[in-house]
Amino acid sequence: MKRFDCLKFLASIIDPKTIVVANVGPISREWNALRPSDANLLQVNLGLCAAVGLGISICLQHRKVVLLDGDGNLLLNLASLTDMANQNLGNTVHIVLDNEAYEGGGGLRSATAGKADLAAIARGAGVSESCVATTLEEFETKAREGLNRSGHHFIVAKVEKGTVANLPTLTLDGKEAKYRFARYIEGTEGVQILRPRYTHI
Amino acid sequence: MQAAAVEAVLQGLKKAGVDFISLLPDSDFSDLQHQVASDDEFTYVPVSNEAIGVGVCAGGYLSGKRPALLVPTSGLLVAAWPLTSICMAWGLPLLLLIPYRGDIGDAFWLMGPYKDTTEPLLKVLNAPYSVISRTAEISKAIVDAQGSTVSWQRPVAVLLTGETIK
Repeated sequence: MKRFDCLKFLASIIDPKTIVVANVGPISREWNALRPSDANLLQVNLGLCAAVGLGISICLQHRKVVLLDGDGNLLLNLASLTDMANQNLGNTVHIVLDNEAYEGGGGLRSATAGKADLAAIARGAGVSESCVATTLEEFETKAREGLNRSGHHFIVAKVEKGTVANLPTLTLDGKEAKYRFARYIEGTEGVQILRPRYTHI
Repeated sequence: MQAAAVEAVLQGLKKAGVDFISLLPDSDFSDLQHQVASDDEFTYVPVSNEAIGVGVCAGGYLSGKRPALLVPTSGLLVAAWPLTSICMAWGLPLLLLIPYRGDIGDAFWLMGPYKDTTEPLLKVLNAPYSVISRTAEISKAIVDAQGSTVSWQRPVAVLLTGETIK
């Protein structure tokens, strides 16, 4: 199963207002090519995609939030799963595109190429809706369920290494991405995030 | 932390408009943590390490909340990773509230190294800070720090020492 095919399916069924948080590396580049949007928060640094996504999921409980994570990325900060589980999230689909490697770092094997089972770890952390998809058909079924149902869904998609050719370059740095995402949330949620007035100063 | 200091912190957080608090349970903040957890004015997110706390607060801020992270002195070193890779890289604000263990007068030897790490670390993280030793100054320091972190779009810390944590 190719990661790009999983993301392509996801992009074909996802609501345009669904917030997507993705970790730095090929996942962000592929997702940006498939669904460029200010509802994306891309290139979250290694180990922190789940944490940032958790904060958004807690605060915007009426919005669907999808996390596009990697195996190496999640392995760096596994305790995130325990904290997510304890929040009883009703709006989150956490997808780990598990290529069993640190692809962006040269392709060395990650722990999931050995004995680590992220779906079992998630279940142990308290995420009851945890599964593994090894074929595109399985992924499509699980992803559709996750998007259409409430709860906290954890899907490990076992994918091949490798990306697709000629992806557009991600031209946003973190600061511009922050402003665009924050302005998008301001516009869709009716809140003021940037430059609030502080009368006590 | 003294009861009066706990009350001053709570007052300061509310006056500053903070409505989202993440923390790792810590002995120096235990009374404060119990109050924050049971106060409906705060969205309370306990975390298993301080790096997750920084990430959670970043998500909270970008969703319209005004977050603060209560960080044990040692935990600031754990938080240094996302304070760099998220807050510095993206230009995100974050109010950090830190009990300053290892400051002069702290008799526990194990805390000594944090005198060497805490303030230099905040400086290299480009996070301005106030060192507050009097309970009467806590509330205003928090309000000022919150105003500055949001205005400057970088983390600002309040270190609590002296009578506030004795």
